Amino acid sequence: MSTTSWHAPHDLLEAYAEGRLDAVLGASLERHVESCAECRAAIRPLSDLRLLDDAWSEVRSRLESPEPTRPVRLAQRLGLADSTGVLLSAATSLRLAWLTGSVVALGFALVATLLAAGDALWPFLLVAPLVPVLGVAAAYGGSEEPFEALAATTPYGRARLVLVRTLGVVIGTLPPAALLGLFVPGPGWVAAAWLGPSLAMVLVLLALAAYIGPWPAGATLALLWCGIVVLSIRRLTPTWPVEATQQTVYLALAAAAVAVLVVRSRRTHRIGVAL
Amino acid sequence: MNVTLAGIGKDYGATRALEDVDLTLDTGVTGLLGPNGAGKTTLLRIVATSIAADRGRVRLLGQDPSAGHGELTDIRRGLGYLPQELGYPGDMTTFGFVEYVAVLKEWDERRARHREVRRVLDLVDLSDLSTKRVSRLSGGQRRRVGLAQAMIGDAALLVLDEPTTGLDPAQRAALRRTLDVAAHESTVLLSTHQTEDVAALCERVVVLAGGRIRFDGSVLDLVATAAGQVWLADADVPGAPVSWRTGTGRYRVVGGGRPPAAEAAEPTLEDAYLLMLGPEARTPLPA
Repeated sequence: MSTTSWHAPHDLLEAYAEGRLDAVLGASLERHVESCAECRAAIRPLSDLRLLDDAWSEVRSRLESPEPTRPVRLAQRLGLADSTGVLLSAATSLRLAWLTGSVVALGFALVATLLAAGDALWPFLLVAPLVPVLGVAAAYGGSEEPFEALAATTPYGRARLVLVRTLGVVIGTLPPAALLGLFVPGPGWVAAAWLGPSLAMVLVLLALAAYIGPWPAGATLALLWCGIVVLSIRRLTPTWPVEATQQTVYLALAAAAVAVLVVRSRRTHRIGVAL
Repeated sequence: MNVTLAGIGKDYGATRALEDVDLTLDTGVTGLLGPNGAGKTTLLRIVATSIAADRGRVRLLGQDPSAGHGELTDIRRGLGYLPQELGYPGDMTTFGFVEYVAVLKEWDERRARHREVRRVLDLVDLSDLSTKRVSRLSGGQRRRVGLAQAMIGDAALLVLDEPTTGLDPAQRAALRRTLDVAAHESTVLLSTHQTEDVAALCERVVVLAGGRIRFDGSVLDLVATAAGQVWLADADVPGAPVSWRTGTGRYRVVGGGRPPAAEAAEPTLEDAYLLMLGPEARTPLPA
């Protein structure tokens, strides 16, 4: 019901609907329209309902849609698709707790390396390559888990989802790990050389997980890597696990893992078993 | 036909879950009724492309799901699936969970995706809880979140495994209205072990027991199979195939011939269902 005898002239309402009024006049008119049924009725046909609907929709989206995690926001600024960001925000590996845990583990490994006498690099070399591997295993989701069963029946597909989650782990763990690697004593190339076995193990994990599951695959690789590092401490040089000859082996393993994934996804006609 | 199953079979180790199942479905709501272990979930998972059949021929939305990745993806674009148990990862909100599934269903454009999420949340009356964490919702509310994600994109094939679990009568009535609308354009296949759900929600009923289809027809036709075989007696009837004491204190007797001094009763869907299920129907077949 109208509570005033004054009514806004048509051209004023039109200017308001078109967004041509300044903030003070606009706010004043809004106040009046809120309490004046006649002016509300007069402004309705002047309003662009689609624009209003879009604006209201955007307000609701801001309120209802979950805020992407910090690493995802960063990745989106660098060009990551909005929809992929939604998937990554939900990935365990990109949650703050996981990231904090990863960085703390790497930090301890770095401190242990710095405190160790001489050129002992083993604490860092033991931990750093395994952080992304275990991150991928955690982000995988077992095929029998209730949510994974649903995800497997969507056009996006479980295999693609696993690969996106893997990308999430790489986004989330590699930059801090690479940064900490710069402080590792010894030859400078070690700071980057651990990425070779790490990325190879991520691919082998993806290939192996299709057969034995992500966690057994992750555990197998962790044990193997620990064995290699321990062997190098006792019998070989501290940098042996990441030296050039071994890097070619990791490259070959990575290529073999990719081949297994490609062949498996092409040959299998069973539903939802590519990864 | 949106769904054609011919001679479908599925084994889990030594247990035969489904054997020689033939089923064709077009638009409308079909209820899959059967006791626990009858093979309902296995059948729904095959129709939802979650698992493959071991034997037989499957065609969904005009395509063969085992033909290749492209065909499978095409089918999944027209599919909405509510699994019997649905996990809600981590600390997702109602809106966040449905949006996540919307992305998996290729709703890539943000504004359109948000509108669709709001539409399906409205359908299941959960708009007011969109920012609440799913882990803090009641069982019935969570079930409705599951229904909302299945409704994304007006799926041509809706596969709902026990959608009424945890819903109160008002919510069941709302679900019925929603499915009625969906069934004009879509094929809806839902499972339940509640006969009242089938009577309320479905025009067609398929009774599954021991991995085989025991009945396939309209609800009224199923009820008619019990005509002349239901009685009300003043005392319990030893040896009757099925009998129980009703709220009025009289005994409802289904099958096995008319007891002395009993009066005939109008059969219900539950009577027909119980009459149809023999003890052997509850036991999985050996592979």
